Amino acid sequence: MSGQRAVDPMDLAESAKKLAAHVAPGAGCFVSVQKSRFANVRFAQNEATSNGDDDEYSIGVRIVHGKRHAVATTNQSSIRDLRKTIERASEMAKLSPEDPEAMPLVEQVNVPPVPLAADPATAALEANARAGAIRSIVNHAEKEGLVAAGYYAHKSLDRVLVNSVGLRQRHASTEAKLTSTIRTADGRGSGWAGDESTRAHEIHAEAIARVAAEKGKQSVDARPLDPGRYTVILEPAAIGDLIGFLLGELDARRADEGRSFFSKRGGGNRIGESLFAKSVTLRSDPADPLLPSSPFDDEGLALRATNWIENGELRNLHYSRYWAKKSGKEPNGNAHGFHLSGGEAASLAELIAGVDRGLLITRFWYVRWLESSSMLVTGLTRDGVFLIERGKVQHAVNNFRFNESPVAVLRNVEAMTRMTYRIPSYGTLMRVPAIRAKDFLLASQSRAV
Amino acid sequence: MGTSRRTFLLSSGVLSSGALAALACRSPAAVAPVRKPSFYNEGAEPHVDHALARAKQLGARYADVRMVRRESQRVSTREDHVVGIEHDETFGIGVRVLVGHSWGFAATSMVDENGVKGAVEKAVANAKANQAIQKRPVELAPTPAVRDSWHSRVVRDPFAIPLGEQVEFLLALWREVERVPLVKHANASIEALGESKLFASSEGTRIEQSITRIAPWFEVTAVDTEHGEFESRAFEIPPMQAGYEYVTSSRLKSDARAIAEDAVRKLKSPTVSPGVRDLILAPSNMWLTIHESVGHATELDRAFGYEANLAGTSFATPDQIGKLRFASPLLSFYADRTTPGGLATCGYDDDGVATLRFDLIRDGVLVDFQTTRDQAGWIGRKTSHATSYAEDHKGFPFQRMPNVSMAPGSAKKDLQGLIADTEDAILVTGDASYSIDHQRFNFQFGGQMFYEVKKGKIARTLRNVAYQANTLQFWNSCDAIGGADSWELFGALNDGKGEPMQFNAVSHGCPPARFRRINILATDVRKGS
Repeated sequence: MSGQRAVDPMDLAESAKKLAAHVAPGAGCFVSVQKSRFANVRFAQNEATSNGDDDEYSIGVRIVHGKRHAVATTNQSSIRDLRKTIERASEMAKLSPEDPEAMPLVEQVNVPPVPLAADPATAALEANARAGAIRSIVNHAEKEGLVAAGYYAHKSLDRVLVNSVGLRQRHASTEAKLTSTIRTADGRGSGWAGDESTRAHEIHAEAIARVAAEKGKQSVDARPLDPGRYTVILEPAAIGDLIGFLLGELDARRADEGRSFFSKRGGGNRIGESLFAKSVTLRSDPADPLLPSSPFDDEGLALRATNWIENGELRNLHYSRYWAKKSGKEPNGNAHGFHLSGGEAASLAELIAGVDRGLLITRFWYVRWLESSSMLVTGLTRDGVFLIERGKVQHAVNNFRFNESPVAVLRNVEAMTRMTYRIPSYGTLMRVPAIRAKDFLLASQSRAV
Repeated sequence: MGTSRRTFLLSSGVLSSGALAALACRSPAAVAPVRKPSFYNEGAEPHVDHALARAKQLGARYADVRMVRRESQRVSTREDHVVGIEHDETFGIGVRVLVGHSWGFAATSMVDENGVKGAVEKAVANAKANQAIQKRPVELAPTPAVRDSWHSRVVRDPFAIPLGEQVEFLLALWREVERVPLVKHANASIEALGESKLFASSEGTRIEQSITRIAPWFEVTAVDTEHGEFESRAFEIPPMQAGYEYVTSSRLKSDARAIAEDAVRKLKSPTVSPGVRDLILAPSNMWLTIHESVGHATELDRAFGYEANLAGTSFATPDQIGKLRFASPLLSFYADRTTPGGLATCGYDDDGVATLRFDLIRDGVLVDFQTTRDQAGWIGRKTSHATSYAEDHKGFPFQRMPNVSMAPGSAKKDLQGLIADTEDAILVTGDASYSIDHQRFNFQFGGQMFYEVKKGKIARTLRNVAYQANTLQFWNSCDAIGGADSWELFGALNDGKGEPMQFNAVSHGCPPARFRRINILATDVRKGS
């Protein structure tokens, strides 16, 4: 028998800490324990395809011998496995050379909890509830003679961090996500909609089906349109696909080292420069009621509300603890949720009404780096691109490949919706508006539907 | 012991002083197996039997169980110091059942009586809940019941190599490059991956397998602070199903300086003039183009719309088998999970079906798709092509890409020969940017190094190059490929597919090849204010 125990993550973390003091006396230790439940169902061709439901621990132990350190992780919670993991981390740390960038373990700072981030009903959701949501999408698609595919997943996490200098942090969260792509039976039209929330009951399967089906039907008979620079309205999912790249680049060290868009010619970084449209603000705040997230980062550092971009000006870059010390700055932690805002438009319809000639874009696909010094990325439109003329949506057009920079998009903002939307994401939580931006480069046509 | 054995040559893909390194990575040395799974010693058999019996009791007409242990170890450095030493281990059991028409799946890391019982019950609950949204019954193509084991071959178990030796290897790379003017940064790492699994099915199959993979990495960045520019150059060394001998027998150390000089050369090179040009792709670049436009396009579940919500569908559909002129008649592509060293190579897939080699595109014509047991019948096939895979115990096993490779040409030609035969073209080596649309038509790829070929010779280095094409137009524009001696194996550990996304390691072999009249883009958009 493996001796697995279903125990409280804080108890498990404290046991690991005690065990570490015994196995590696005198060493520092940092323990993270995450207990998770993750369940999902996938569907395509109007029927269920795959599914899953799992319970896991993820236990990470960092052992620190002076300036030597190493990390071992396991998903096994038995005392024997904990001991093996601690011994492994300790042995690896002893064999490791000294790390000149090693920082002392993070000390405890009490952070206000974020109870809004977890919903017990979402954590307890069962197979029939998942199947029911899918059934309402499939029924909607079948009534209209359409073909639905999609994915419904929910997870609950209980995360604990402790260390040998008194750190003791805990955060529970839940997340439910439902997305659907609805295509016409002949494959000539495709539409998408999706939503993500802390609470499963806030996800409305029927509404998602309606939007995806409508876009699918409207995108049939897409007319060819030449590539070029267009005014575009990017729906929130498309903005989310772009902004993810910007978030990864908000790093002070790489900027200071001369290898990022945020590097200043001649040395240093561009904090303080107005690089974006005046209306643009990007903020992270664990207590944001619209986007509750962890109040501490992966090292246990308390996360404060931070403006990264404020009224178009770059206000902050991420300073790791090492780089902050070297640069004489305060470390600001790795935020888990980002909220882009600043728009005044009452609705997507208002954004559309302000376009003489442009395109409405539902979402992007396969966005990847193209050239990092200008933060240029490439990717494709999908599941609904529509020509707007004289303030009205006219008809669907073909898909495009774009070569464009998220910085340019946020610089070329003409208007944004006041309302922001949570993006179905992987990892970092995001809430963004729909944006109208000029001069977006659609570089080549794509025949894909 | 490695020195007396046949060691396989590694392709660095490094071009130093315009001379092409024509080294082929053909097949790894085959020696004693290591990393036999250890869970037989941990009382695993009763859990497997218990899960299968319980599934049957609860009404499953088929069940399989995978007990999977995965280990990874990563040592990483930047410049002259270590930045991380990490070891990760997961272990657990995944239970898949067929109840009525539907699949049900659940997993747990708590491998004891209660944990396994709970997983079986949740899998059955999932299958029952999904009956209401299942129309076509899941049917499995027959496969013989087997009892077997299979272990990938390694010379030196990377998990047994002292960390100090690995760290020293990586730090020595920095010493090779630190004096190259403008070179400011280097990141290096060695990642070792072990995957051990026991598969058992209600049909009596029981298979034990283990795979060792290794991924060395080295990238140098040159910075011109004055002009606010930088360029990075990554070593063209693929991950491989092999042991630590792959690292030590590579050209990483001997060619490190050349890589750094490449980074500086890139920084000083002119941006390409965009337009329609001929293109020569080295295997270190073309593997990824094969992966995206051939490998993914011939996944049967994708062609049937199963991936529509995430990765999309495919322009290639089963009604086009035997008809679609996918590529030039020079080109044949095959799938092969028995390729020595291939990252997807194994003895049996996660349906318990023996792996094999099969053609996807023969003499330019689409002839087949990648299938699993529950898909083979969709296109009238009697047996599966053994392409089922789940990343770990938590993953639902589904159709994943096997190693998909381009067959070499019959002529005895290599990359040098292709260049010598070419009047005006751009040669691309190494991979960088990559993107393709959701039906696999429009793709765009970058690279590590770009060379202008004029009158049969490399004339100069260029930068900021990407090529963009439509899959069918691109493969049909191929007019020359290298022979068997120029065939090299590359690949990636992290091919993502499915929701929840699972990662699959996969290799692609190919010779160099030439393509006519391809759209070349300049990616040089200087940063604005």
